[in-house]
Amino acid sequence: MTIGRRPAERAGLLFVSPYLLFLAVFSAYPLLFAFYLVFHRWDIVSPPVYVGLANFSYLAGDVKFWRALLNTALFLALHVPLQIVFSMLIAMALAEKIAARGFFRAVFFLPVIISGAVVTILWQKLYATDTGVFNQLLACLGLPPVRWLTSTKLAMASIAVMATWKNMGFYVVLFLAGILNIPGHLYEASRIEGASRWQDFRFITLPLLRPTMLLVVVLSTLGAFSLFIEPYVMTGGGPLDTTLSVVLYMYKHAFMFQHMGYASTVGFALALLALVVVLVQKRYLDTEAHY
Amino acid sequence: MSFVLTAILILVAGLGWAAELSYWPSSNPEEIQLARTLVEEWNRLRPDIPVKMQPLPAGQSSEEVLLSAVVSKTAPDVCSNILPAMMGRFVRSKAIVPLDGFDDHERVLYGRTDARQVERFRSADGKLYQVPWKSNPVMLVYNAEIFDSLGLKPPRTYGEFAKAAKVLTRDSDGDGRIDRWAMKVSIKNLWWQRLFDFYTFYVAASGGKTLLEKEKAAFDNPAAVSVMRFFREGFKNEYFPLSGSAGDVFLDGKAAMDVAGPWAVKYYERIRPGFKFGFSPIPVPDGHTGPVYTYGDAKNIVIFSNTRHPKQAWEFVKFLISKQADRRLLEITNQMPMRKGLTSDPYFADFFRKNPALRKPAEQTARVAPTDESVHLVQILDSLSSQFEACAVYGEIPPEESIRAAAKEVQYIYDHW
Repeated sequence: MTIGRRPAERAGLLFVSPYLLFLAVFSAYPLLFAFYLVFHRWDIVSPPVYVGLANFSYLAGDVKFWRALLNTALFLALHVPLQIVFSMLIAMALAEKIAARGFFRAVFFLPVIISGAVVTILWQKLYATDTGVFNQLLACLGLPPVRWLTSTKLAMASIAVMATWKNMGFYVVLFLAGILNIPGHLYEASRIEGASRWQDFRFITLPLLRPTMLLVVVLSTLGAFSLFIEPYVMTGGGPLDTTLSVVLYMYKHAFMFQHMGYASTVGFALALLALVVVLVQKRYLDTEAHY
Repeated sequence: MSFVLTAILILVAGLGWAAELSYWPSSNPEEIQLARTLVEEWNRLRPDIPVKMQPLPAGQSSEEVLLSAVVSKTAPDVCSNILPAMMGRFVRSKAIVPLDGFDDHERVLYGRTDARQVERFRSADGKLYQVPWKSNPVMLVYNAEIFDSLGLKPPRTYGEFAKAAKVLTRDSDGDGRIDRWAMKVSIKNLWWQRLFDFYTFYVAASGGKTLLEKEKAAFDNPAAVSVMRFFREGFKNEYFPLSGSAGDVFLDGKAAMDVAGPWAVKYYERIRPGFKFGFSPIPVPDGHTGPVYTYGDAKNIVIFSNTRHPKQAWEFVKFLISKQADRRLLEITNQMPMRKGLTSDPYFADFFRKNPALRKPAEQTARVAPTDESVHLVQILDSLSSQFEACAVYGEIPPEESIRAAAKEVQYIYDHW
């Protein structure tokens, strides 16, 4: 059967054509061009020069890239569990019949709609060693100030906490939807059987939230792989490259050094890694919920 | 009918309607005001070559915006915010009009600017592409109130600096932690920050040398090592704050010194009216002989190749570097034109009488070094910045090793990229 032969198909194609055009111009073409650049050296102003697999061999021996990858993995390991635990806890609290529930739901979602750069600048001020709110609170308790963003041991953790706060609202909504979808009679039956709140959570809520959990894990993992604005604004990748993420490293090569070919190679390597990690997560978490 | 059409065409050409020039100045408030004033004057004087001013479009940096404009062929006819280091890439892509094509270019450039300074901007292919416009000497700025109250004079050498720093650095509230430092130094690993600490001090310590020579590192020497050691000692002894701050520690009186250029004066006036400060030459290693040089944060003027009116653009550029325009540059922005005898010329005398704080930066303009013109300069400074962070800020590696590693990295950058 040839597509577009029948009037209805032609009309359908006509309706989706704006989106297809958008997809071709803003997604497919840049993607194909980036793939073309992987085999080239290009500084934007001069014509691209074919270099074969040189960008890949440089990537394999690039200590900074591996360092950035390790940092990204550390961020992932800190951020994803924090995101899941806090989002789920808050969603569970918001699912209860508490006072001003609508207000709290809106408040927790608020950071999601604020620009990432604005939130980052705000937290930079909160983290300031001398006048920052966190250190002022520590001073009230008689504790010495902490170098939140300039200590090699703490900088990435500080960024992970901030990123968790910023994105939590979105995942709270997902968990809340998942929790509200669990049939109430399951809890009623377990109460009749004399189950505790913990047993409710352990044997009903948690298993039935697995599909939501998979979605949250995949989305927050992909978000963690694209870590950029926080280290870019707050630390510039320092101290001593401890917050240099792969995307920040890619940005430096692309827009500071004009190494477009190498930056594309870094980008494809990261996309490939993210795909592998997500497939592994899917393999272990993907089970259907049976009510 | 054809006669009428021809007459209209001649009239239009005669009025120069097709010759409107586009001009991009920097987008900071003072420079926009300067550009507006100059363009208004020019349009009054030369209605045959109208100029339309538009501040550099917003972007991460002027350099990125200009590169994008060149690639998309939307660059203006004239731009006055060109960092000399960027020229390599522009020249390679033939994006700039060489000045050699204008008969009077030597008379104009050498008549206004010291020949040695002009030659610093000659590109690797032997041609001149940029018109030296302004160069802001980066100097030591000190809080005059703190210095006067302690009976201190601005330090000239590293030895004097250490002595002053011991007095200036203190725990003023007695909580066991330093809360006033000798000097503000950025600990962020950002390539351009190193222009205002390592590079400025290196130019001073080396007697005006820059980082590169014939595409090779020229800084693997004792001067660079002494600069790295100076900063390392400063951080180790807590003369410089090793912490993030929410404000400007210099303007807040928490750091007694800073490194800045004359552009900072307008900023001080805006943020802290009445703030008392002074400029002083950059401290040099003990035993240094000869004049003290510094980094001159230069911004030059170019004519982009996509102009359809190079001759008219050149006329406008000559106006931008005229004596009257230089006077406006001083008055409106407090920035220093690259003009010979700036402080001795009677035309500018009353300006310096009214603004005595700017006399020292004006005198220093004769002894400045810009950055090298290299397509790899950002990457080289980025690499130096990593070494600075590792050696000076966190004391992880010795100064000799950090300088050797940075020089080796330069070689690698040239060989590989």
